[in-house]
Amino acid sequence: MYKTIFSLALKNALLRKTRALLLIFMIASSMSFMLSLEGLYNGMTKNMIDMTLRSDTGEVSIYAKDYRLKQEIKYAIKEAQSIKDQLQHHPSITSVITRLKVSGLGASATKSYPVDLIGINLIEEESFGEFSAFVKEGNLDLGKNGCIVGKQLAKDLKLRLNAKLVFSTQDSSNTLQSKLLRVKAIVHTTNINIDNKAIFIPKKVLSEFIGVDPALATQIAIRTQDKDLQEELRLRYRKLEVLNLSEINPMLAQMKEMMVVFNAISFSIVMGVVFIGILGVMYVSILERIREFGIMLAVGYSYTNIQIQVIFEAVFLALLGFLLGSIFSLASLYYLSHYGLDLSEFSDGLQSFGMSSIIYGDIQPEYFLRTFYAIIFASVLSVFLPLRTIKKLNPVDVIKADS
Amino acid sequence: MIQLKHVNKYFFKGQSREVHALRDISLQIQQGEFVALSGSSGCGKTTLLNAMGVLDNIDSGEIYLNNKEISHLDAKEKTNIRLYEVGFVFQAYNLIPVLSVKENISFIMKMQNIDQQQIQNRVQELAKILQIEDKLELLPSRLSGGQQQRVAVARAVATKPKIILADEPTANLDSKNSKALMDMMRELNQKENITIVFASHDEMVVNAVDKVIRLDDGKLV
Repeated sequence: MYKTIFSLALKNALLRKTRALLLIFMIASSMSFMLSLEGLYNGMTKNMIDMTLRSDTGEVSIYAKDYRLKQEIKYAIKEAQSIKDQLQHHPSITSVITRLKVSGLGASATKSYPVDLIGINLIEEESFGEFSAFVKEGNLDLGKNGCIVGKQLAKDLKLRLNAKLVFSTQDSSNTLQSKLLRVKAIVHTTNINIDNKAIFIPKKVLSEFIGVDPALATQIAIRTQDKDLQEELRLRYRKLEVLNLSEINPMLAQMKEMMVVFNAISFSIVMGVVFIGILGVMYVSILERIREFGIMLAVGYSYTNIQIQVIFEAVFLALLGFLLGSIFSLASLYYLSHYGLDLSEFSDGLQSFGMSSIIYGDIQPEYFLRTFYAIIFASVLSVFLPLRTIKKLNPVDVIKADS
Repeated sequence: MIQLKHVNKYFFKGQSREVHALRDISLQIQQGEFVALSGSSGCGKTTLLNAMGVLDNIDSGEIYLNNKEISHLDAKEKTNIRLYEVGFVFQAYNLIPVLSVKENISFIMKMQNIDQQQIQNRVQELAKILQIEDKLELLPSRLSGGQQQRVAVARAVATKPKIILADEPTANLDSKNSKALMDMMRELNQKENITIVFASHDEMVVNAVDKVIRLDDGKLV
């Protein structure tokens, strides 16, 4: 019996080929548009998070209490080196680094700006976040007085490679000190804290410059996949602040949540369009076949059989749309993940939000799974209204009308 | 076989105007009878036939099929009666347009979950009797009126129902095809012992049956 019902459904689904094809293409194009958009949004957010993790915070960062509020060297972590040595042997930590940061004034020949001078270990930074990938101009061979400058800061101070830069700050004894630096590289991280105000020099040089113990650090940054590590370190280092990305950079976390909401809204709108599309096609298709359903009811075909038949028709067309949509979406997302969407024309605006001018798409199997469920749900839901029309149908009226 | 007791049926046209379509109808039709409901147009033949086949509801009275009261069953039970007990032949053939002749004939058998081999044998047997063997793979739209009506008859008798209700089966056929159809129905009636009730004002049908039940303005005459 079910074989006959499914056979009838297939025949009817493909009876009006143009209409069926239009519906399939409508589902496929809506789906691929939506998934491409979702892939881009997620790719953009992921890229921003990844850049921040690599260039700054890691998954977990440790600071001395009050440092983040007061930003003074006297709130640095005194036992940073020994903590780093302990953490390096932790099984779930892939990389750990220490940084020393002091705020001061950076001055070029024409301009001056408040800046952060950050002492780093370039070799460690490379394994931590592939620092060399951020270099847009120059190289990381710093020599005696070499420094690395954030892209926007270089632009603001009108600095080019090998340009001179004077950094002034108070040392550990509150004496004003100045240091002449030479720009060896310019980096672009899309992390606005770095691009707009960071100058990197070797940590050892910075320690000597401000007269502090080389073991001292203002930040210990950790790369890990272990979600429980933060809690473990919080318990272990109660006198320090152990923070994750969301706590250090709430704006980024908020943006991630916003993207989830934005994706959900886009998803609902597109699924609404798909729902209306299927509803329209199924409604017209069913109204056209009222006579046929009337005859079938008259000869003993039950309303349940009609329900199964109509739902199968809608699901069958929706599945064809989903399959075609998956092919379109995969092609589109593959292109976006490999070549990205070049928005260089808007790079200044994007940069001010900490975004890259080329946005790469992100492909996740869950996009397809979620869309599959949504399309099946939309197709089943869309036939309820037309089915109500059949439920009210009295077969004798159809037969009378024919006579 | 079929027994009607004081059956009344009204049709409402607008808010107040009503038509008394069946007036206190009581009758009995025995197993294997070849009967016609006859009368002028609008006398209630089709309404009575539809009531017998539980296609239409009645307002009062009782209808028995094999001693079982069937007029007050729920929709699902009525569907089962139409599927298992009654075969219908309609004036406008009413074949399923997307199904081939073979699929139309086997449709009710498939709904009854009859074995595939049995279905195939029955389709061949009926196609031979009704002379549509060479049309089995065609869609109904490719057939003439007479051929479509023969397919409708084949569909109705395929499951060997106890009763066949045929509403103006010859109305759209020429006299030659009408006679051929009536001959075939008579043959099925005799061979399969199927009760056949026609609703028709066609004299040829009226002359061909064993018993005529005449109606006038919804009443038995």
